Amino acid sequence: MSRKYNIFKVLVFIGIIFLFSTQIKGQATFDSLKLKLPKHYFKTVIIVDGYNKPNQTFTDTNDFLAKRLKSYGLKQSSLSFYTPLVTYTDVDTVKHITKNTHILLTGNYMRLRPVFDGIKQHNLVKMGIGLRFIFNSGKKGVWFVETSPFITKDVTYASKGYFRMASTVIYSYNVSERFNWRIGATKSFMWGNKNYWPFIGLRFGRLDKVNLSIQFPRSINFNVPVGPKLTMSFYTKPQGGMYNFSNHDSIYYISNASTFSYTRYELNSGFRADVRVNNNFNFYIAAGISSKNNITFYSEKINSKRPNLPYKTYFFKETLGPTIFLNIGLVFKFGKTRTFYKDRNMYDVMDLNNTIDVGDNNGGAGNPQIPITPKTKKDVNLNSIQDLIDYNDF
Amino acid sequence: MKNLFKIIILSCLFLYSGYSLAQGEKDKVEAIRVNFISEQLKLTTNESEKFWPVYNEYMDKVKAVRKNLRQSYKKAPEELSDKEAEELYQLDLKSKQTEAELYKQYSEKIKVIIGAKKIVKLREAEEEFKRKVMKAIKDKDD
Repeated sequence: MSRKYNIFKVLVFIGIIFLFSTQIKGQATFDSLKLKLPKHYFKTVIIVDGYNKPNQTFTDTNDFLAKRLKSYGLKQSSLSFYTPLVTYTDVDTVKHITKNTHILLTGNYMRLRPVFDGIKQHNLVKMGIGLRFIFNSGKKGVWFVETSPFITKDVTYASKGYFRMASTVIYSYNVSERFNWRIGATKSFMWGNKNYWPFIGLRFGRLDKVNLSIQFPRSINFNVPVGPKLTMSFYTKPQGGMYNFSNHDSIYYISNASTFSYTRYELNSGFRADVRVNNNFNFYIAAGISSKNNITFYSEKINSKRPNLPYKTYFFKETLGPTIFLNIGLVFKFGKTRTFYKDRNMYDVMDLNNTIDVGDNNGGAGNPQIPITPKTKKDVNLNSIQDLIDYNDF
Repeated sequence: MKNLFKIIILSCLFLYSGYSLAQGEKDKVEAIRVNFISEQLKLTTNESEKFWPVYNEYMDKVKAVRKNLRQSYKKAPEELSDKEAEELYQLDLKSKQTEAELYKQYSEKIKVIIGAKKIVKLREAEEEFKRKVMKAIKDKDD
């Protein structure tokens, strides 16, 4: 018995050595060709986004400031990017799982013009650089941690910039391709002021197929890929932020404050079309109804001098009725990446990165890197794409 | 001046879009291939979770080897010097050898994940896809 056991041990040992040597040989020959494989899974992505809401007249005739400001509309444009800094891939040869860690640099420059007919126009700027860390465990879980510091400033008149920070931590669990849940916490300004929210996400359906994605407090999306080039989405989500506003027009008439805080949020519901023109360029167009159009003015500095008052005691607050909005964006993708077809966890990594948009504006590039596979019949008809086939690729 | 700047930016964007068209179409074919294999294999959730990262890595390496070899054939054979021809010949041998070794190495890995029966099915699906591509090309030529 003991002898047989020893023979078995020797055979197992030889087997392991044989398998290991094959792997080393394969890798060594590959390395000797000095070929460079792409390091990252993420492309460098640049997003140019424009967002407009028409002017609405303030109907509150009792408020002095509402009468003075007359109407309110929005013109917003932003330039944001994310780029992979570090990608670390680790293959567990025992459990046969591929783990990877991604560190991305993000940046955002946003220019916002709240259009008040009663005063001169102000251009408000928000700019920031952030970092995000994503860990794909290779099994079912994905971790996402982001910090996004930014400065807001009124650039029309000389004003001091304010430093603020948004951040998010999420754990995402892929029960199957068709069902995913997420839990976490987020500090965000998308609901106007600084808010700490729990993050709860549920997705029903595959990311590359029809799916319903509920990501509280960020968005509810019903996504329908019409083909490999077009995805339609029906969604509802808040959009907003907190900005510095110069008191050049003496809007804060009871004080001599040079700046005050202007906060806004609106709840946008509508449809969005994401068009994948090619591998390196997408664009999207979204339109719909913007409701609960909220706007506030307050001065934290002045409020802090008044004992027993909350820091955000407003001197102006209005909620306007529903109106329409239009959002258009261009998405440019650069660089070569590693392949991740049908890799459920990597699809989730990509989706997490886009659900939490760059710069805390709650916009987003969609999911430009998740491949939407063309519908294949039982017998694939390649005649329609025969001009595209490169024989050498097979 | 502002308008000129806008025109330059727009022109660059259009040129950039056109440049990346070909790559996009290749990816489309690749997506169809992957979908075809996926449909044929009928992997379980557990198998799929482990199989695709390994298979994608294998394909990335094979594609890199083939692309490298393809790009080395820049000159017509008549224009090559003896030294260049020898180098190309050696690279060809090495590339084929690397492909074979990668095939063996990754087949072992994949076999552990999906089993021998499904790996046979995988090879069959790959070959079937190639045949379909060839047929499409032939039908076009006819």
